[in-house]
Amino acid sequence: MVPDSAMIYLDNAATTFPKPPQVLREMFETYARLGVSPGRGSYDLAAQCDHYVHEVRCRISDFFGGDGPDRVIFANNSTDALNTILLGLVEPGCHVVSSRLEHNSVLRPLYHLRDEGVITFDLVPFDARGFIDPQDVARLIKPSTKFVILTHTSNVVGTVQPVGDVGLVCAEREVPLILDVSQGAGVVPIDMRAMHAAAVAFTGHKALQGPTGIGGLVLREGLDVRATRFGGTGFESWSSTHPEDYPYRLEAGTLNVLGIMGLNAGLTYLADRGIPHIHEEEMALARVLRDGLSSIKGVKLYCASSLDNHVALMMCNIDDLDPEDFSAILDGDFNIATRSGLHCAPLVHEDLGTSPRGAVRFSLGPSTSRDDIAAALSAVDAIAGG
Amino acid sequence: MGSDRSTQAHGHTTRVIDGREILFDEEGFLLDPETWSETLAETLAAEVGLGRLTERHWALIRFLRIFYLANGRAPLNRDIRKETGLNLLDLERLFPGGIRNGARRLAGLPNPRSC
Repeated sequence: MVPDSAMIYLDNAATTFPKPPQVLREMFETYARLGVSPGRGSYDLAAQCDHYVHEVRCRISDFFGGDGPDRVIFANNSTDALNTILLGLVEPGCHVVSSRLEHNSVLRPLYHLRDEGVITFDLVPFDARGFIDPQDVARLIKPSTKFVILTHTSNVVGTVQPVGDVGLVCAEREVPLILDVSQGAGVVPIDMRAMHAAAVAFTGHKALQGPTGIGGLVLREGLDVRATRFGGTGFESWSSTHPEDYPYRLEAGTLNVLGIMGLNAGLTYLADRGIPHIHEEEMALARVLRDGLSSIKGVKLYCASSLDNHVALMMCNIDDLDPEDFSAILDGDFNIATRSGLHCAPLVHEDLGTSPRGAVRFSLGPSTSRDDIAAALSAVDAIAGG
Repeated sequence: MGSDRSTQAHGHTTRVIDGREILFDEEGFLLDPETWSETLAETLAAEVGLGRLTERHWALIRFLRIFYLANGRAPLNRDIRKETGLNLLDLERLFPGGIRNGARRLAGLPNPRSC
């Protein structure tokens, strides 16, 4: 199926689309040359593929301010990475601090571990603008707190959290801070050292411009995570136990080499265009969208009165129109793709009063144009009865 | 219009409509689209304030059902526009409850359960 070139795609917070052509081209060309099992076997191509993967680990470590390639663990996506670290860190009776801004990729593992009797946890609230208060985190940390796990950027309201201040709070108490950077990576600079973060979980298919199916963890030295999955690694096959060395400790089975190549191509694209430049362009359009939406009678915006410390996404509703119908009309009548519902972050909607039906999220990407925003505003105006 | 009594369990509601037991989910969607009938559509329509289903309503309901039964899924937004000539905003206004809770529910299609 040929992509609909007339479609206005405003669901970039879920998956950026379309991917830059150079990313797709580089991904496929590299895979055509090197797409074998990395490090498995004694032929040159396997060694070359292994070296390529190592180079990408180096690049990702540098990108996030990590401690080197061995501490970069590939996973399928953020959810997979977060499960790996959550299940590998918890101990019976431990306590965890998180927030009400979290995606289900954090909440559901926490609920599961609590229901299994393994952990207890507390969630910090967010204010009317969509930000948590680092002092709330400080208040909830107790002697049994094993780690703090927070979203770096809300996927629902787009607020970039004060994670540097939270990092200081955690560092002072010697509690590791784990960040879910799914929404912020590729949009704003993320420096684990500056943020005092012990780990970040990322996905490739959002602003990092890679394909779906690739993500990972970056762990700082000193944070040890137990393996919770076991299997083939391509070496020490004689051993009945899974290797203890990173990154293999947390990687079982053949890696998604095509995804790693796409992620690498995405990083090249971001380096060429410049993350600050992309972000500035997106935020300029986000302000136009916010100002336009807020001037339409019947439209209610959430946590968008200020777009400082924000990424280019926002959420709104129209009077009593069901968000799913709102989004369907945008698609069917105006060829505009948006995301309705709870955005896999039900507590945010609960606290904003938009539960259970949610709201419609507009999320911009590098290919969003001024004309796209004008068309979206015109469509919302028509739907709202203007 | 058939008689109606209801019982609830596990968030599901069993109602007797026109002498038949019909199971609804927690949002009032049919659990089994095969249990739909015109009487049921009229009953649900009356409940949302539609005194009488017009030919425009029936044309849309029939399209949704025929498409669903032939394809095993609800029509895409574009299918609705193309096949009925209605834009979705008009459809939203045609049914109290709009597209999802109005048209789709009255046509007996399953709850789309998007997140």
